[in-house]
Amino acid sequence: MNSLLEMRGIVRCFGELRANDNVDLDVRSGEILGLLGENGSGKSTLMKVLFGMLAPDAGAIRFRGKPLAGHTPRDAMAAGIAMIHQHFMLIDAMTVTENVMLGWPAAGRMLRIKEMSARVREASRRFGLDLDPDARVATLPLGRRQRVEILKAILRDAELLVLDEPTSNLAPAEVADLLAILRRLRAENKGIVFISHKLPEVLEVCDNVVVLRAGRVAGRAPVAGASRGQLAEMMIGRDISTRDNSEPPRPPGAVRLAARDISAPGLSSLTFELRGGEILGVAGVDGNGQIELVETLTGLRPARSGSLALDGRDITRASVGARMTLGLAYMPADRSHTALVKSMSIGENLMLRDSRRAPYGRGPFLTPASGAAKARALMADYDIRARDPKVIAARLSGGNQQKIVIARELDRGPSVLIAHQAAWGLDPGATRFVLDRVMALRDAGAAIIYISSELEEVLTISDRIAVIADGGFAGIVPRAEIDMRQIGLWMAGRAA
Amino acid sequence: MSPPAPALPLTAISHFQRFRLRRDGLAGRIALALLLSIGCAAALIALAGHNPLVAFAAIVEGAVGSPHQIGAALNRCTPYLLAGGGVAFCLRAGIINIGAEGQIAMGGAGAAAAAFAFSGAPPVLAILAALTGGVLAGATWAGLATAIHLGRNVHEVLATLLLNFIAILLVQQFLAGPLGQFGAGFLQSPLMPRETWLPRLAGFDAHPGFLIAIVAAAALSFVLWRTPFGFALRVAGSSRRAAAYAGFSLPRLTWGAMLIAGALAGLAGGIEVLGVHRRLIEGFSLGFGFKAVTVALLGAMEPLAVVPAALFVGLLESGSLAMQRQIGVPSALVTVIEGMTMLFVLAATVRRP
Repeated sequence: MNSLLEMRGIVRCFGELRANDNVDLDVRSGEILGLLGENGSGKSTLMKVLFGMLAPDAGAIRFRGKPLAGHTPRDAMAAGIAMIHQHFMLIDAMTVTENVMLGWPAAGRMLRIKEMSARVREASRRFGLDLDPDARVATLPLGRRQRVEILKAILRDAELLVLDEPTSNLAPAEVADLLAILRRLRAENKGIVFISHKLPEVLEVCDNVVVLRAGRVAGRAPVAGASRGQLAEMMIGRDISTRDNSEPPRPPGAVRLAARDISAPGLSSLTFELRGGEILGVAGVDGNGQIELVETLTGLRPARSGSLALDGRDITRASVGARMTLGLAYMPADRSHTALVKSMSIGENLMLRDSRRAPYGRGPFLTPASGAAKARALMADYDIRARDPKVIAARLSGGNQQKIVIARELDRGPSVLIAHQAAWGLDPGATRFVLDRVMALRDAGAAIIYISSELEEVLTISDRIAVIADGGFAGIVPRAEIDMRQIGLWMAGRAA
Repeated sequence: MSPPAPALPLTAISHFQRFRLRRDGLAGRIALALLLSIGCAAALIALAGHNPLVAFAAIVEGAVGSPHQIGAALNRCTPYLLAGGGVAFCLRAGIINIGAEGQIAMGGAGAAAAAFAFSGAPPVLAILAALTGGVLAGATWAGLATAIHLGRNVHEVLATLLLNFIAILLVQQFLAGPLGQFGAGFLQSPLMPRETWLPRLAGFDAHPGFLIAIVAAAALSFVLWRTPFGFALRVAGSSRRAAAYAGFSLPRLTWGAMLIAGALAGLAGGIEVLGVHRRLIEGFSLGFGFKAVTVALLGAMEPLAVVPAALFVGLLESGSLAMQRQIGVPSALVTVIEGMTMLFVLAATVRRP
């Protein structure tokens, strides 16, 4: 069968970096192709070249037998390529139908809402999308919003759909639905490129995988017969079977963080204790109170009632800075605008929360020389890959950015660490790095709250597991007593 | 890469896009914008039937043609540098302070009041007291805007802008009452007591204000780049959420930046009154505070870069009267050049959200 898409010998350089180095990629109609690779392996660059957002330095693209060169995203869309981004390009205040019509020439110059609604309804039925044409996007859960994007692609007669990390925002049930929809699209003879870090999903839904590493194709294989271990090895060039956290339970340390009846908007009366040397994993579907929990614990939101004590001292009313000084470290989920100032240098980001303390500052002044020396030492210790501390954080890969946050928060020697989505969007190598550092901190006697919507990550790392649902802990169990069915019920239970 | 923005705002702090400058190749962009606006001005002069080169020569001659003119030009640059530096400082922290005009007006009134109160004191003491009066009055006016902004959650653009008009009218009220010169037929105060006059360099006519302003710009730059306070301001200007996470108090930062900017604008008002007019006159600030925003942007919000920006605007205005006198091109043309420069600079530097 002929290829729907043929990319041949694609080269794209950024300065000295060869982001794509002679990459070939083929997609057939009726095929789901998994595109795997660590961050910075060249997946996004390749897709940007395909979509006309970047021009290749060399190489050729043929789509449906016709050459595609010097094209813009608009040309790519017109040719039948649709890109579904991680962050949806939808207008919340508008309805599904209105979003579908937006920027679509075939919708005509006059608004024909009724006719369009009918088409939306029909397509939605045919592909099992289950969308109400008149629903406002703002009222839809993330999984549905993604389907609006898919619907847009279908109605625009896209033959090739590129989905960039499509499952990163979805609850487990929504992921299953998405995979079902992708199979339906495959049955309708569409070509699909499925970009993901998550090996189980790739193995479940894809027909073939292409693995990129350092800008080159590291391997391609049919999914049938491939194992997780093989794919992971292709991705990073070594086997990364996860470190088993099944050492015998250590004697619990002293209580380091004690929350009693903490409540805040979106958070209902939480009581828990956290001891030194333990990791409390918090699992749960996003939007069930995780942000409210971490921001209340760290002082970014006031608690409405209850009390909070750190190493025996009451911090219920303490400021963010005071809590930090007392030993509370925090890795926020929002790396772009909270954990880092991307327009500032690595050095400035390393001193973000410590600018008044040695070696970054003394009294009312900064001490740039000792600060830079410290930054260099941290960059070496935490393997932050950049020429020097003056490099702007925005230029680093996601993994290196997160290493800045880890370096800053762990170097202070915290007694309690709150890590929220600490490995989000990181490739397996960087994820490993984050988990190892967090576990090392635990082994050194700190108490850790590790919050993630990736259940597997939570299970890997935690000594106790709590499930957050609807702003409260649905249950907490020690690692030894985990019953996956019970966890699933907790995650779904109160949220439903 | 970061997780998608949550459906709920991450913190209670409002987080809308403050404008930011593209930092790559900034100097080149600004130079190009300046060239473009001068080119447009040349075209306008040519359209009006004059030779642009002759007109520009007249501006240069008028600005720096003689020691006396250089002195007058530097005096003219002073309020731009002081107020512009303060505005740039605020902008760096993400605070849009349009209130320098009112702060200058209040500063002038404060300096005049202090000067009369300390008449008869030894000269150095009298000058210091009068300038301190200006600084305090300017800072008070900025503080009022800050209190409204933070206390009642009024956007700082509105709070600072509207207080300008109140300040200008208040100064008129003072001149019609306690500070006014009875029977002058004009809203002005009596001459300041002689001991509060700023000295002028003989044959040069420059008062020491420009030097004070340069020192202030250098101090602002030091604070911004070499102190934790300045670091906190820059973080807050880039991301308010990051600033809250870092443990910086946004209200405290806003107070700090606004009071410093108000003090500098007040100082500019005081220097204008004690150094140039030697009395408080209605409308003595010829839009210095509004143009301070232009100057701050022209200087890319960088206190030391505001020095050349203030020199550009000050020298241009100072030379424009000569151009009008000598070849009949209206001096208002300079306002057009300033406006175009502002637009070109914004177009060349502001980063799209």
